[in-house]
Parts: sequence; structure tokens; C-alpha cells
Amino acid sequence: MDSLLEIRGARREFVTPEGDRIAALDGVDLDVGAKEFVTLLGPSGCGKTTLLRAISGFEALDGGTIRLGGADLTALPPFRRPLNTVFQSYALFGHMTVARNVGYALEVAGVPKRRREAEVAEALDKVGLSGMGARRPGQLSGGQRQRVALARAIVAKPRLLLLDEPLSALDRNLRQQMQIELKTLQDRLGIAFVFVTHDQEEALTMSDRIVVMRAGRIEQIGAPRDIYRRPRNRFVAEFIGETNLFPVTVDRVEGPTALARTAEGVELLLPAAGRKPGEAITAILRPTDFTLADKGIPGTVRSAVYLGSDLHLFVAPAAGGPEIRVTARDGQAAETGAAVHLAHDPARVHVLEGG
Amino acid sequence: MRNPWGWAALTGFSLLFFVFIYAPLFVIVGYSFNSNPVNMMIWERFTLDWYTGLFGLTERVMDPNSRAAYIESTDQMIAALKTSLTVAAFTTTIATVLGTATAIALARYRFRLRGFYNGFLMLPMMMPDIVLGIGLLIFFVTLGMQLSMLTIVIGHCTFLTSYVFIIVQARIAGIDPALEEASADLGASEWVTLRKVLLPQLAPGILGGALLAFVISMDDLVITYFISGTGDTTLPVFIFGMIRRGVKPEINAIATLIILASVVIAAAGLWLRSRKTD
Ligand SMILES: Nc1ncnc2c1ncn2[C@@H]1O[C@H](COP(=O)(O)OP(=O)(O)O)[C@@H](O)[C@H]1O
Ligand SMILES: [Mg+2]
Repeated sequence: MDSLLEIRGARREFVTPEGDRIAALDGVDLDVGAKEFVTLLGPSGCGKTTLLRAISGFEALDGGTIRLGGADLTALPPFRRPLNTVFQSYALFGHMTVARNVGYALEVAGVPKRRREAEVAEALDKVGLSGMGARRPGQLSGGQRQRVALARAIVAKPRLLLLDEPLSALDRNLRQQMQIELKTLQDRLGIAFVFVTHDQEEALTMSDRIVVMRAGRIEQIGAPRDIYRRPRNRFVAEFIGETNLFPVTVDRVEGPTALARTAEGVELLLPAAGRKPGEAITAILRPTDFTLADKGIPGTVRSAVYLGSDLHLFVAPAAGGPEIRVTARDGQAAETGAAVHLAHDPARVHVLEGG
Repeated sequence: MRNPWGWAALTGFSLLFFVFIYAPLFVIVGYSFNSNPVNMMIWERFTLDWYTGLFGLTERVMDPNSRAAYIESTDQMIAALKTSLTVAAFTTTIATVLGTATAIALARYRFRLRGFYNGFLMLPMMMPDIVLGIGLLIFFVTLGMQLSMLTIVIGHCTFLTSYVFIIVQARIAGIDPALEEASADLGASEWVTLRKVLLPQLAPGILGGALLAFVISMDDLVITYFISGTGDTTLPVFIFGMIRRGVKPEINAIATLIILASVVIAAAGLWLRSRKTD
């Protein structure tokens, strides 16, 4: 194995002020490769920050181990761990110049001034802040502070960088720009990033692998495409992207396709492999998996939202049951109240065993 | 849409407010230049006699009896001022170190009796001065300690530590704990973090606390009155003694000089503060 970070059986409990015990980490196993961009994704309170702080050493574990490059970190205090963090609040030192902020890790390590200055300039250059060294953090915009925090965390050339929702304070445009820059920077540095977010779009954009968490446990680990196309359970399916979930019963199998039906009578086609008539399963279809056609599931458009190049439709099936979300491509028109048919490719259906 | 009458009333009220606060000070400053030695409330003419007399620079023109008494007290006054400054310097140093250390410990470390310490540190501030003074006196006598400059310093430290503590604590509450975490994350030990991050961040609060401790120590009368021996008198105790023998015009001159010193110190403090904040 060439994994840089190895977490085994990490457990951490907190006691709430009301006296309840909550498992912020409930047996977490995770491997991160040497040049991998891994994102921890999950709803607020699922334990992302706790896991990150356990890695950086600010949160002690009740059980389990954390190894970095083969060395056991579990008992080391934060300042002895060879990794760095970009904090959500940036945590820049307001009483120091930008250059001294960025050079702080080198300063405390006793690197001579001459070399320190060269490396600070290099780090500032990497984040696009050349020449800003003499300013104070208080004189910078939010986006610039973010970059200073980044430069400060990479100046000592750690093998692992931890980032806790670093983009959450930025506005949407800047956030999207920074997502791309972060990914580019990570590629260029050739180090591992563990990135925390609760924004699934952000996770899909940046990650090599996504770790979906819920209530202190890992629900699924996989490449963005895997997580999106083949979620392992309802939680992951619903958390990542927009989803249509159909609890169906398999009706019959005909060659390569199977026919299944919801309780209300909406009919779906899905891959026949492994399907048996009478079996209860959940079929998952993304909004983009449907097309407006002449045949297919009959329904009525309840609402239509035009979003840039896409048209988002909510279609009530004629047979009844929950509305189906459909993304129609540009050019396909449908107005509220229109009668439509929704066709889909059986191969695009993802099946969860069990109802 | 402003109501002009309401506006005028408000302006008048604020003016009255400032008159109320500053009038006594201006009266003293004015009297200190009044040459009338008998009734200072009746203006005679401008003089600097009370100031020069204070420093024993010129012969006193008035009644020769009081002149003999006064020359003696000039030296006493200078000695009292020296005592006050020495006490304030030691007290400020000790109280600032203790108060700051306690504030940091209570804000950043969890230990038993934390809440107890917090409440306990407020107590000397709320305790009436007279109770504290008597308590300290009894304490020193019980221990068999001679009343001296040392007892004054100890006495002042007991309550000034609390003042510094409160001010530094307020400052520390506004500091993002992530700053210290960032420092540790970048490889700094706790000691280095304290030196390079926490103390510089706290500096305005520590400075403010020290300044306050200095001013209160210089100014304290009631507590010091109980715990100062016959040898070491502070300036407030000395002035109080003078007043008991009758309000003399020189008192106004001393008061004016003290006001001047306070304004200079306060201005210095404000200037330092404005430099720190960016
Ligand atoms: N210091 C703490 N004391 C008590 N509970 C905590 C503490 N830190 C985190 N928790 C709890 O642990 C759970 C996980 O928190 P966290 O890791 O911050 O979640 P996330 O970052 O995914 O939003 C939450 O229920 C949170 O309330
Ligand atoms: Mg969090």
C-alpha cells in the first residue's frame, strides 16, 4: 500500500451539556494516498471537523490510530505533527505582516532569515500574492486572506494539508474560482489534501475521492462519479445531487431488461442482471436520466424552472406518487400544465437492494 | 425631520453633563493661580506662588509661621511622591504579571475549581475599601510585619491583580482560539505560541490593565491609609494629612499637577492603543 495517511478505528465521543453521549467519530477507517485530493462530505454535525482535528491533533481519540507515512501520530501533540491546516476562519495573526504570517512555520523552526524570505516569496507566488508581503492581514480582502492562509500552510512543504471548509466564507464566484485554483495547486505541489465541505457540488468538482459521512460513520468512499452514479444507500443517493428514488417491485424479466412498478403503478425499465420477479428494490434515476419523448411514463408538468442552459421540471406521474425531477436539455420546451412522457435508458438505472 | 427643540434639549443636556463632570476640575485649576491666600473663592490676581512654593523655590511672602511649617512639608511631599511612584511601579509589575497569567490560565486551561477562581478574583474589587484596608492591617499585624512600603505593595497587589485580570480576560475573550491552534499547527510549542501569538494579541489589554493598576495604586487613599507606616507615606495619604490641617492654596497646585500628569498618561495610553489597532 502506498497510502500516506492511515486511520484505523477512530472513535471520539462527546458529552452534550444535557448529558447525552454523542459519537462524533464511530469507528472510522480511512486511507489517503500520497498525492490524493480527498474530501470529507456530509451534513453539519456528522463529524467532519472532529475527524480533521483528530488528524491535526487538536482532538484526542478515544480509540483507534492515525499513521502518517508509516509513523504513528496518535500520541503526538499538534506541533510535532508534520502536516498543516488551513483554518475555516483563516486564523491569520493580525499583529504580523503577511510575509511574517507566511514565514511563521519557518521562523519557529529556526530557518535563517535569508532562506526564509526566499521561501515566503515562493509560497506567496504560488497562491498569486506576490509583492503583498508587507501588508497586514487586516488590509486584505476575504479572498486574499484565504490565499495567505494557504501560503502559510504550504510554506514548510508538508506532505499532507488539511482544509476545514476553507471556501465557505467566500461569495459564489470567488468560491468557484478558488475550487479550481485549489485543485491546480494540489496537483502542482504533489501533496495530499484532506478537504472538508458540506457542499456536495464543491466535493464533486475538486475531489479524487469523496468520503461521505453521517453521524460519525463513513457511508461510502469513492470517486465523485462512483458516488454520484452508484450510491450505496438512500442517504448517499439523496445527499449527492438531485435524485429520484422509486421503491419498486420487479414485475417481470424480459431478456436484458426487467420491468418494475411502484405501488402507484409508475413503470420503470432496469437492467435484468440478478433481478427476480416479486423482489422489492429501490430504483435510482438522476434528473438528467430522463428525456422528454413520445412514449414513457405519462405525467403532467407541475412546475418548470429555467436555469441557464437547463430546464428543471417537476412532473407529476399520471399514475400518482411523488413528483419526478427532470432536467430537460436546452431546446426542449415544456410549460406548466403540459402533458409529457418521460423516457429513460434502462442501463442508467441504479438499483439499491431492498425497498 | 429632526425636532429642533428636542435637538436643542439634547445638546443642552450633554453640555450640562460635561460641565457637571469637569467644573470641579476647572475650579481647582483656576484657584491654583489665585493669589488670595485667605479666601481662594475671591479672585485677587494671577500668581504662580503656590507652584513655586511647592518646590521650595521661592520664599513665601505670607505669614512667616506657616512658611516655616511649609518648607518642611515640601521635602515630605517629594518623599511621598517618590513612595507613591515606587509602590505603583512594583505593584503594577506584579499585578500585571499575576493578573495576565491568571486570565490566560482561566481562559485556556480546564482545571478543578475554575469557576471558583473566577468568582474569587472579582471579590477584592467589590469589597469596600475600608473593609479591605482593615483586613489587611489585621493580617499584617497578626503576621508581625512592620508597616512599610512592602506592606503597601502587598496590599495594593491584592486588589489590583483583580483589575488587571478583568481587563485582560475581556481582551482574551475576543481572541479566536484558532490563532493559537494555527501557531501550534505550524510547529510552535506552547511557550513559543504564548510569546509570539497570545501575548502580542493581548498586548493592548495588558497595557490597559497595567495603566489602570498604576493609576489606581497612585490614587488609593483608604486602603493605603491603614497599611502605610509612619515612615512611608504615599502622596494621597500625605495630601489627606495636609487637608486635615486646613485647605491651603498649595493643595490646588498639587491637584492641578496631578490632573496634568493624569491627562498625559491617559493620552499616552490612547495613543498606544490607536497604534496597536489595525
Ligand atoms: N467540543 C465539543 N463538545 C461537545 N460536542 C462536540 C464538540 N465538538 C463537536 N461536538 C459534536 O460532535 C458532532 C460532530 O461535530 P463536528 O465534527 O464539528 O461536525 P461537522 O464538522 O461535520 O459539522 C456534533 O454533534 C457536535 O455537536
Ligand atoms: Mg465542521
